[in-house]
Amino acid sequence: MPNEWQSVLDEIKNNVSEMAYEAYFVRFNFVSNENDTLIASVPNVFIKAQIEGKYHNAVLDALKSSKYKFKDFKVIIDNKDNKTTVKRAVEITPDNTPVSTFSKKIIIPTPNYDSKRLSSDGNGLNPKFRLSNYVVGSNNDLAVSAAHAVIENPGMRYNPYFIYGGPGLGKTHLIQAIGNEILARNPDMNVLYVTIEQFYHEFVEAMRKKLDGFSEKYRKVDVLIIDDFQFIANKEKSQDEFFHTFNELQQHDKQIIVASDRLPAQIATIDERLASRLMMGVPIDIQMPDFETRCAILKSKAELLGAEIDDKTVEFIAENVRNNIRDLEGKLNQILALAELRGVPAYELIDDSYITQSNIQTKRKTISVKQLIDKVAKYYNLSSKDLLGTSRIKNIKTARQISMYLMKEELGLSTVEIGRELSKDHTTIMHGIKVIKNNLKTDFNLREQITDLRQKIYTS
Amino acid sequence: MEIEVLQDRLAKALNAVSRVAASTKAGLPILSNVLLRAEDNQLTLTATNMEMATVQYVNAKAKKNGTITVPAKLLAEFVSNLPKENVLISTKDEKLTISAGKYKSTINGILADDYPELPKINEKEAVTFKINVDIFKEAVNEVIIASSNDTTRPALTGVYFNTFEGSLYIAATDGYRLADKKFVDKVKSEIKAIVPTNALQEVIRSITDSMDEIEVLITDSQIRFRMGEIEITSKLIDASFPDYRQLIPKDCKNIIELDKAELIRMAKVAALFARDSGGSIVCEANKKESTFSISAVASELGENTAAMEAKVSEDGKVVLNSRYLLDALNSIIEGKITFGLSGKLAPVIIKNAKSDDYTHIIMPLKS
Repeated sequence: MPNEWQSVLDEIKNNVSEMAYEAYFVRFNFVSNENDTLIASVPNVFIKAQIEGKYHNAVLDALKSSKYKFKDFKVIIDNKDNKTTVKRAVEITPDNTPVSTFSKKIIIPTPNYDSKRLSSDGNGLNPKFRLSNYVVGSNNDLAVSAAHAVIENPGMRYNPYFIYGGPGLGKTHLIQAIGNEILARNPDMNVLYVTIEQFYHEFVEAMRKKLDGFSEKYRKVDVLIIDDFQFIANKEKSQDEFFHTFNELQQHDKQIIVASDRLPAQIATIDERLASRLMMGVPIDIQMPDFETRCAILKSKAELLGAEIDDKTVEFIAENVRNNIRDLEGKLNQILALAELRGVPAYELIDDSYITQSNIQTKRKTISVKQLIDKVAKYYNLSSKDLLGTSRIKNIKTARQISMYLMKEELGLSTVEIGRELSKDHTTIMHGIKVIKNNLKTDFNLREQITDLRQKIYTS
Repeated sequence: MEIEVLQDRLAKALNAVSRVAASTKAGLPILSNVLLRAEDNQLTLTATNMEMATVQYVNAKAKKNGTITVPAKLLAEFVSNLPKENVLISTKDEKLTISAGKYKSTINGILADDYPELPKINEKEAVTFKINVDIFKEAVNEVIIASSNDTTRPALTGVYFNTFEGSLYIAATDGYRLADKKFVDKVKSEIKAIVPTNALQEVIRSITDSMDEIEVLITDSQIRFRMGEIEITSKLIDASFPDYRQLIPKDCKNIIELDKAELIRMAKVAALFARDSGGSIVCEANKKESTFSISAVASELGENTAAMEAKVSEDGKVVLNSRYLLDALNSIIEGKITFGLSGKLAPVIIKNAKSDDYTHIIMPLKS
């Protein structure tokens, strides 16, 4: 039978276009013969409709010229072939799929917003920032799922919605996207996005000219989005005004969204009342995306640019740019531009001196012990001799312990190897690392410093 | 074809159809086109990816009937950028000319004859019911979160519509959690159908405020949703759904009523410390102290515990994935929930405290 069936398929192939054959007949399978009627199966009802409708005659003709003696045929649905679907690590799915941490998704943006209305409203939002073009990974999934909750019920959950994280990790994109999504759902809501700088300048202006209306402007909004909150440091009057605005809005269940590059408590001269209020809605941090998420981000950016990019190039960039998303995008643009300029595929540029020389970071393993010690020493305004020496002055000792910790964590050296580098016994090293690890659990400043140092290690 | 339509109506319809056209996996180029049909003062837009199809009807002034297909994405993007005026569409052979105000463009298309036919639905044989859009949306959102995207197990990539003791239920599971919701009371017919998650998401996305009811038609191979000027048809997943009712524990020893917002906050905080351990958080009920607490330990960062007062009938402890717990809690609209804790290895049952219609089950993590 199989050979005979193949000849029928070949005949169909002759009768219809190649594309149509590929689309409809590749899974057209023989099932049985019932009283001179052929029973054949297809994967789904849509394909069934085509074969029974448009291609009815093509199939009948093919059957006539075969050795079968079928007078007619019937199509049934069979779905077994679904098992052969290739599962890809990075899935491309349509807009608005529920966020799941189990598989990363690139979401294709759809132009389903009315860009004119959004931009002309003076709400400060850039309509380009949408959740649909925000790549979700383990570094930000919490922030995104909270964002969904805020969008669903502004002012109800996570009020204030406070996110913090280093520069270029997508905070602005996320908070603007929340504003845009809320507007898309509730066009009547009064949404306002300002940076704290703008807030400050307007406030000073209003004070100077004795203008009314400043408080009203901010207190009548339904959703207030504040960016770069850390710049409120040392602006006491603005803090006061913001504090009252905050209270007023929160009392009326209006949503407040704040992004900052650090926790409120770490902002210099911040009013404690304000800091504690901001912590009420659970602060969520956005971290540097992991390798896979970086790849996903690159692919989605390339897609937005309408550019083709191969996996090798994506992995090269993701491997080499680790500190923030802005740089990731910069490097992608650079490679794409150069590829276009030279008329070569992007992957050929990976070893190009122009690309590798210009501000790309060293890979994990290529930083030497000496460089690491220099960096730590410089960070704490010490000399590397201090770190390699035996001084027991507290700040030198701590810096030394931090370099031990970083050598272990970042260079993957053993305590014996570190001991050799610093001319110390390995038990001293073990103790030093333990001290840092313990302190990290409680000491926010230390965590900040270590994060800073890590960045420094990989950025120059 | 020669037809006049309002820009905003057309843009909205095109956006919806271009989503479907863009999701096409079959290699047929015409599938990324939208089929336009002008007839009897109506413009019909159709797109399909050979797994689902969406049809949108837009009121229009048709001067001359006709059909054509053109690239959906291009047309959608062009129209969405046009001024809010009347848009004129006309065709000549395989070219479509579209203009509004001072904008005008000509798009090369493909004749409609080459566009696939959509499967017909025999309305007399179909099981039909109508449901309020808000109820539909709430119910589907409550269960869809538990569905899987593992295509090697097709049955789990959809939502299972099934009748049981005279009511229609919808359910979804990914093997680690399960959500079940009573959907429609008093259904006479018998239904057992797995509806692809994508299609339901498309339906949810297409719901607008002006819609009131959704009409659902189900046959043994397809399902159709009709709402307002939109019709979405999808294949059904031809696989058998697990007998999930067996998985729902019949009785639960320890049912604790909790405030949802507070619980979400506690789970979120714990999740911060559970990243290294794959999201595992410990939920614990303490009878003596009348508390329900969530804690997590991160070997590097530190640890966290949060507790709230709760009426607890006996001590119990279970380890859950924070993500699953949060998904379950976030899908419930009601402010109070019940947390059914039967033991360390028994599934946790989360319900809406006010009604028995919704059940969400989470399998514990082994600790």
